[in-house]
Amino acid sequence: MNLQRKLQQLLRSLVQPLTAVLIGLLTGAVAISIVGASVLETYKVMWDGAFGNFYFVTATLARATPIILIGLGLAIAFRAGVFNMGAEGQMVLGAVSAALAALYVPGSGIIKMLSALVAGFLAGGLWSLLAGWMETRFKVQLLISTLLLNYVAVLFAGYLVSSPFQDKSGSAALAQTHMIDQAAWLPKLFQGMSVHMGFVIAIVLAIILYIILRFTSAGYEVRMLGYNPFFAEYGGINKIKVLLFSMFFSGGIAGLAGTVEVLGSQYRYVEGSLTVPGYAWTGLMAALLANSNPLGTAVAAIMLAALQTGAMGMERNTEVPLEIASVIQGVLILFVTAKITMNWWKVKKKAGDIHGAA
Amino acid sequence: MTYRLEMKEMTKKYGEFLANDEVSIQLKKGEVLAIVGENGAGKTTLMRMLYGLEQPTSGEIKLNGKTVKFSGPLDAIENGIGMVHQHFMLFSDFSVTENIVIGHEPKRNGFFDRKEAAEKVKALSEQYKIHVNPLKKAGDCSIGEQQRIEILKVLYQGADIIILDEPTAVLTPIEVEELLKTIQFLAEQGKSIILITHKLPEVMKVSGQITVLRNGKVTGNVLKQNTDIEQLATLMVGRELQKLTDRNQLEGEPLLVIDNLNIGVKEAKPILDHLSLTVNRGEIVGIAGVSGNGQSELIQAISGLRKIDSGSIRLGETILNGKSVAYIRNAGLAHIPEDRYLWGAAKEASVEETGLMGYYRKKKFNQSSFIRLNGFRKLVRGWIERFEIKTTSLDEKSGNLSGGNLQKLIVARELGFETDFLIAAEPTRGVDIGAMEYIHEAIIAKRNNGDGILLVSSELTEILTLSDRIAVMYEGKIVDILDRNDATEERLSVLMAGGNENESSTKTTTTA
Ligand SMILES: Nc1ncnc2c1ncn2[C@@H]1O[C@H](COP(=O)(O)OP(=O)(O)OP(=O)(O)O)[C@@H](O)[C@H]1O
Ligand SMILES: [Mg+2]
Repeated sequence: MNLQRKLQQLLRSLVQPLTAVLIGLLTGAVAISIVGASVLETYKVMWDGAFGNFYFVTATLARATPIILIGLGLAIAFRAGVFNMGAEGQMVLGAVSAALAALYVPGSGIIKMLSALVAGFLAGGLWSLLAGWMETRFKVQLLISTLLLNYVAVLFAGYLVSSPFQDKSGSAALAQTHMIDQAAWLPKLFQGMSVHMGFVIAIVLAIILYIILRFTSAGYEVRMLGYNPFFAEYGGINKIKVLLFSMFFSGGIAGLAGTVEVLGSQYRYVEGSLTVPGYAWTGLMAALLANSNPLGTAVAAIMLAALQTGAMGMERNTEVPLEIASVIQGVLILFVTAKITMNWWKVKKKAGDIHGAA
Repeated sequence: MTYRLEMKEMTKKYGEFLANDEVSIQLKKGEVLAIVGENGAGKTTLMRMLYGLEQPTSGEIKLNGKTVKFSGPLDAIENGIGMVHQHFMLFSDFSVTENIVIGHEPKRNGFFDRKEAAEKVKALSEQYKIHVNPLKKAGDCSIGEQQRIEILKVLYQGADIIILDEPTAVLTPIEVEELLKTIQFLAEQGKSIILITHKLPEVMKVSGQITVLRNGKVTGNVLKQNTDIEQLATLMVGRELQKLTDRNQLEGEPLLVIDNLNIGVKEAKPILDHLSLTVNRGEIVGIAGVSGNGQSELIQAISGLRKIDSGSIRLGETILNGKSVAYIRNAGLAHIPEDRYLWGAAKEASVEETGLMGYYRKKKFNQSSFIRLNGFRKLVRGWIERFEIKTTSLDEKSGNLSGGNLQKLIVARELGFETDFLIAAEPTRGVDIGAMEYIHEAIIAKRNNGDGILLVSSELTEILTLSDRIAVMYEGKIVDILDRNDATEERLSVLMAGGNENESSTKTTTTA
């Protein structure tokens, strides 16, 4: 009976994201037939591009790694009821700090790696904490401050690698740091495949976060704050403390996303390498699609990554343009934002009628 | 003759749970139908189906003999059905007029015609004798006024059938009187009204016909002239009500001591003005007052939810002012909040999670910061049994509980802390008479146990039955404290309106 209820609940929570994906795929199908290709065949090619053989599977998982981490970071903030829109900046600052730590902290490879992980986490976390602090101290809206801080972070990181820490050894002086010592790299999971230890970190973190949110008092406080801040305060939850902690971990994990990209696949910080693929926004979508459930976020992130790698495969092998993937993603975004708008509307209404009985 | 409204064998299932089981009601033009019944009996559910907010599992709705189906509230409104929500749905930044005409604004050259709107609202307000100030911001209106806005909005939309779901729960006694008059007047004008309430005297005053629901079924349908309060109560709870337990005489030492408390000193009218009050052990101190005279702020100050400007609050030996909510709760305070949806619960959270608030910090339920759910569940199940809280499971969303059942859950949670001191603000708001009796018993038992209780209630009868002493609040001050034996409804009313006891009643008529 209880199990059945749980299953029902699980299914119900899956209905919405699955419908979103289904409608996304249907819209994609329409677009594909408009350009005159066979829908089934194109989707088959896409599937193969994402999961067709072991190599593609690992490529998909590699791409999913930063998206999962970003999504997890955002999920924490959303659960606490704060709208952290600053994942991109937090990720980039994390990445550049990690690269610099790996380059300049003295010691063995493992020490370099660990200090890079710590530095990346701290940089992202503190950057995000800054926005949280401005909100609690000066009532600067988080939604806006985090968005604006993105620009600051990305430009600052760009400055660091284009002048003081630039690798000038190469012929085409790119805006990037030197390459970090191979001993500090995150190991690949399989020889010759792109997926690296960062993926394991992401999955383990998803599980840990799930457990924390569900079974611990800290998780309870975060969730109640997100559900109803008045209730949380009334019950003795320290709103400010929980908000700041949530923001710190949220940004820290986003920083980690940048860090594992640096340590596991780029081996240096390259300007634009994290912003151009739009990891932050895909991660945002993953968290929203999964309603900020950590495990769901991981799954959604892998799905979205597959959509992207699959689309690349499609472009390699068919006449259908890459943009089809954007169409599908666009529909997903539409769904997700519709959901947010509705929730926002409800909250807004609630704020208007705080009196009354039932 | 045909009825204006007939609902026939309406059934609503939530999963396996039958919220309404073949419920039928009829309503004629100009008639007031009261629907009464225990918490969770299915009253709100039935009305939500009528208003198109919920689709019936089976059943038929007929308007003037014609079968209708509503896909949403807009459909229902179109067909002349209006609902005044328990939670007002007003836009607080908009004016009264704008709130009333929203959705059906009068237009000139395609633009909102503010002047005509204001005139229309004024005319409507005069026609139905419902007083509002059309230009005021809705957010600045008192609760009674907000409700009048809702009623006018429904009338403006052309409703012939008006649903009022527990409209008096939040009103002051004077506002209740006014509302009942309005209901009668509307009925005289040919409107049909469905009134849901737990207060049987109100039912006897305005309704013609009374339908009693229990466990989703109709258990009685009587005409007012053929029944009385006792019979209705029995029909509702299936047993007769008992007299409250006697209170033993206690001479307790001071427990909660508030000294010279001030809030909002910089404002034109201070919110709390040099307020001093003591609650002794083994004593219930009731606070009477028209809402908005500082009661909410006083409660919030004691429980740590609001900063104070000066003064001190002590609980036993512990100083409470300036301390965090968690610290204060730890020091021995529990708190039934006045608004269960704002403070008392999170609608999205499960029943278990709503119950867990506060307990998750206790050693017994917390093992190295992992919550021990198994032990806690036993506790919640105990509450559910004792307070007869109707819920399908512990995983049910709190927001899906009926209003009264959620209230009972919150009361159970706060009593469960077994603290020395309890703030009980509107402890029985929205609960049925059986549950009210039970909650009153529990509060008195707590008192007899030597604990102190501060009771805040807009129900004078509740204050009078429970309190040992009654403090009357007016404009942030305690204007008088009466002993239980000296207090009467009349004396309290005079004091609540700002009148001085020694002055004659002429003062009351001018200020009230
Ligand atoms: N969306 C829902 N999902 C599951 N159960 C529900 C839902 N809505 C209502 N219920 C259940 O249906 C029953 C009837 O609820 P309803 O709100 O109609 O009661 P009520 O008679 O209005 O009670 P009250 O006097 O406390 O307001 C309750 O037990 C409630 O828990
Ligand atoms: Mg109800």
